[in-house]
Amino acid sequence: MKIKQSLSERVYIWLVYIILIGSAILCLFPFLNVLAKSLSSNWAIISGKVGLMPIAFTMENMIFVIRDQLFQKAFLVSIYVTVVGTLGSVLFTAVTAYPLSKKHLPGIKFILLLYIFTMLFNGGLVPSYLLIKNLNLMDNLGSLILPALINVFNMLLMKNYYESLPESLEESAKLDGASNLRIVFSIIIPISAPVFATISLFYAVAYWSNWFSPMLYLNDPALKPLQLYLRDIVLQASDENLLNQDIDSLLNLSPEGIRNATIIVSTIPILLVYPLLQKYFIKGILIGSVKG
Amino acid sequence: MNRGNHWISQIKRNYDLYLLLIPGLVFLAIFKYTPIYGLVIAFQDFNIFKGIGDSPWVGFKQFERLFASDEFGNIMTNTLLISLYKIVILFPIPIIIAILLNEVGRMWFKRTIQTIIYLPHFLSWVIIAGLFVNIMSPQTGIVNGIISYFGGEPINFFMDNSFFRSIIVATAGWKEAGWNAIIFIAAIAGLDPELYEASKLDGASRIQQVFTITLPGIASTIVLMLILRIGSVLEAGTEQILLLYNPTVYETGDVIGTYIYRMGLTSMEYSFSTAVGLFESVIGFILVIGGNALAKRVTGKSIW
Repeated sequence: MKIKQSLSERVYIWLVYIILIGSAILCLFPFLNVLAKSLSSNWAIISGKVGLMPIAFTMENMIFVIRDQLFQKAFLVSIYVTVVGTLGSVLFTAVTAYPLSKKHLPGIKFILLLYIFTMLFNGGLVPSYLLIKNLNLMDNLGSLILPALINVFNMLLMKNYYESLPESLEESAKLDGASNLRIVFSIIIPISAPVFATISLFYAVAYWSNWFSPMLYLNDPALKPLQLYLRDIVLQASDENLLNQDIDSLLNLSPEGIRNATIIVSTIPILLVYPLLQKYFIKGILIGSVKG
Repeated sequence: MNRGNHWISQIKRNYDLYLLLIPGLVFLAIFKYTPIYGLVIAFQDFNIFKGIGDSPWVGFKQFERLFASDEFGNIMTNTLLISLYKIVILFPIPIIIAILLNEVGRMWFKRTIQTIIYLPHFLSWVIIAGLFVNIMSPQTGIVNGIISYFGGEPINFFMDNSFFRSIIVATAGWKEAGWNAIIFIAAIAGLDPELYEASKLDGASRIQQVFTITLPGIASTIVLMLILRIGSVLEAGTEQILLLYNPTVYETGDVIGTYIYRMGLTSMEYSFSTAVGLFESVIGFILVIGGNALAKRVTGKSIW
């Protein structure tokens, strides 16, 4: 009886591992396939035979993308929006969340409700669009940053984290005569690294990935961030920059290969940052979501 | 000391904390509540040159037009079908993943799987659309390569009304299924380890433990997440669909969000589009509020 049970246990555990590994492969597969294609020669891509390993390895697609001036420009615009936006958002969010974590103070609960209400109900597309127009933010990178300065979900994560801190920390500082502001900047923020890392990652990814707002608010080609550029290249198959190349340099290149390489190169910043921050954000979410 | 004085002294003592609230409140007023005020144009024939002040009021005309329009039935059907498929098929997956991860003892393995399955969440819809258009391309995609290998005809997935909704559900699952497990992983991590120890002594197998300890332990989290999810049933994935659809598949893929976009910003029907958006928001709001009240009664917990 006991042996039988441990057999079914073992089968169960094997199943667990197989399903988990299978899910991981499923998550990686599209990415690895496109990576392999971006490193393959034109004829191999067209033959449709490229699986997970490059066929007739070449770096030309990658080099073409990295050297392409339109790509570089769009990449820099995205870096700029992401860095400035993330710094602004983290500052605004951290500063707003702290007083909101002091629920016993008069009025705080009401203000919190004002924030939460906007998670459940919002003005929607056209009123937001008209607002940006009226603020003269069309064709201005501010249109990507200002409306996104505070994400209420991230703000609540931060507030919950502050609430989880032991009150004794602040009380002893208060006894020493420190002001509230002093406490925020010299005690609270320095010990909040996990939640700062978490929301920095969330904001950075949101700014980096945003396609919808630039599509709505930016017409000037010089301001085109990476996601708009990607949409043109990858999904609308406009290869204007490919047409400008001389024929000699196109031997191994193909629109398809370049599209693949563009996808890969655009993903690299996220692939670089994400594993570094991962150990923080799991901790940050666990602490911040205790109260939901 | 009466209550009012107590309040005033508290505000005075903490005036610097209240100062910290100001930047956020300015943000809230401009970027959140001004658009909410802007919803009034749903009851106007809004003219952008006249502004809200001088545009004529028309009552519920825009809503009547919506309910009478030919597209309304189609976009409601598509929205509800895509959302329901997403809920029925995709909602259980993160729960299963969280439970399976809980069975794994080796930390490095658990970490590695988590790192990989969270990754798609961090990719933009443009990238994901690019990836899937690529691997499903009728000429060079590996999916059609496999279909041809087994003697099938290549399928143009993104132009085919019989596949479009499935693709929307599958790509949404690929992006978010792993990430959405995080909340359930957190809930399982919060369960008392002694429960598992005790049931082990009672001779329960690990499979039995899943049904007697893990699932009941995270049931309230599941209910809350489901209610939140149902609250957004009319948001079928606007950005995703805008990137993946084309006029050929409007029949199965046009949803409220994409319709709002086309009407509002392509056809410049500001008032009509705002009315459609308001219709969507109000229903979503009622669903969440109602669902939350229901959750409070059923599980004793609520979102706020």
